[in-house]
Amino acid sequence: MHAIGPELLEVQRAMRESLVEHRDDNLRAHIVADGLDPAERLDVYRNTFASVLTNALRLSYPAVARLVGDDFFEGAARIFIAGEPPRSACLDDYGAAFPAFLDDFGPARSLAYLPDVARLEWAVNRALHAEDATSLNGEQLIRLADSDGALMRFVPHPSISLIRSNYPVDAVWRAVLDQDDAALHAIDLRSGPVWLLVERIETGINVQRVSEAPWRLTVALCSGQPLHGALGEQADFEPAALLADHIAKGRFVDVRTDPLRT
Amino acid sequence: MGGGSAPRYLDAIRRDYPISLHGVGLSLGSADGLDPVHMKRVRAAVERFEPALVSEHLSWSAVGGTYFADLLPLPLTQEALDAVCRNVEELQTALRRRVLVENPSSYLQYRHSTIPEWEFIAQVARRTGCGILCDLNNVYVSARNHGWPASRYLAALAPEAIGEIHLAGHSVRPLPNGRTLCIDDHGSRVAPEVWALYADAFARFGPVPTLIEWDTDVPAMSVLMEEAERAAQIMHDTSYACDRARAA
Repeated sequence: MHAIGPELLEVQRAMRESLVEHRDDNLRAHIVADGLDPAERLDVYRNTFASVLTNALRLSYPAVARLVGDDFFEGAARIFIAGEPPRSACLDDYGAAFPAFLDDFGPARSLAYLPDVARLEWAVNRALHAEDATSLNGEQLIRLADSDGALMRFVPHPSISLIRSNYPVDAVWRAVLDQDDAALHAIDLRSGPVWLLVERIETGINVQRVSEAPWRLTVALCSGQPLHGALGEQADFEPAALLADHIAKGRFVDVRTDPLRT
Repeated sequence: MGGGSAPRYLDAIRRDYPISLHGVGLSLGSADGLDPVHMKRVRAAVERFEPALVSEHLSWSAVGGTYFADLLPLPLTQEALDAVCRNVEELQTALRRRVLVENPSSYLQYRHSTIPEWEFIAQVARRTGCGILCDLNNVYVSARNHGWPASRYLAALAPEAIGEIHLAGHSVRPLPNGRTLCIDDHGSRVAPEVWALYADAFARFGPVPTLIEWDTDVPAMSVLMEEAERAAQIMHDTSYACDRARAA
């Protein structure tokens, strides 16, 4: 054993190169061989790094994994992990960039709908793990009546995502997870775009199709646009019922009337 | 920490059972120090669930903002010892309680290590006042992989520092040179040699809450119950010398 060696930070940076970039040049000299090549010892850690994170991605993207099969998924996951290793110890948050990665992933190009299935799965994952939040209460609702609609902005429940796709990805997602081949084959991929709302409800996750105009209004409201401005963009559509539905289903957790900070 | 059904189930379980909160992501051995965001999550979980025990590993898993989702081995040097003690102290201050630090399993050693692992973890406990979560499968796996004396490992640990024991199964991988590498995979029954260590540990440490870890290829409930029964039997059959009343 040597009394003098590299500093801890230097070893840890060298381990990062080993695990993520598969470069052992800065680490191997510091490892005791003891009958086994240091590279093979490091392989044990490399395997864990790749397999734990691949499993984390598989948990968040189960329909994508089934659509492409194990070998394809693992291959894609390994390339993704090397380019985007986790930035946080909270693995529920890992993999937000996987749909965008699939957009540019050559071998997946023949499955044009795959990145949007992944976007839907990420929204479901977000809905599952989002913080709890208390929906607007009666007192806040009464105050709404006196508020200036030009300033009034809603704060959406953190579990809500809004997704638009050129493909019926909700039908694909359901059929794949139900392992319902008949339903999968019956899907017409050219049936036109879908507008989806994803949220956590008392009994689980709700993935719901919405028409285009209410979806757009919901996007505007959930992104913090003041009510009047959001409504002004709507043409042939009566928003009162939609607003009432959102409020009744607890989709807003707060309402603000302070001027928008720019 | 996140919301939804999982923490609510844990709330319900907590009403009837004590909970051991076991971390894998704090990276107590990071030269960079602890991640304040993750520390906040852990603190929120501790405040919400009020666990009986809180533990983390003597290892590291993050550098420069990248997290590796694994328990990586530390060079066992004075510098690393100081870094771990600093991080453990910061954690115990933030949580306002004593934590347990668990010995890891490892598959490599660094040439510049100067402190045997058993002395290293004993010193962490002595300097920070933290307890030790003694994972006997990890003691066995690392001892076999590196030729350490497992009984000497246990002898170096102060009985009053031991707050929890882990047992688990491991796999044995043959190497090209005819030797083997033990891998801690939590995927099988506890090995006979680890049961023997359990009797040894019980005689040294006295009765300590014991957890059997089995999270790969999880078997039928009856198999898990047999393993738990075996641990209870060893506790029943082994006499112990130390006085647990001294334990903090």
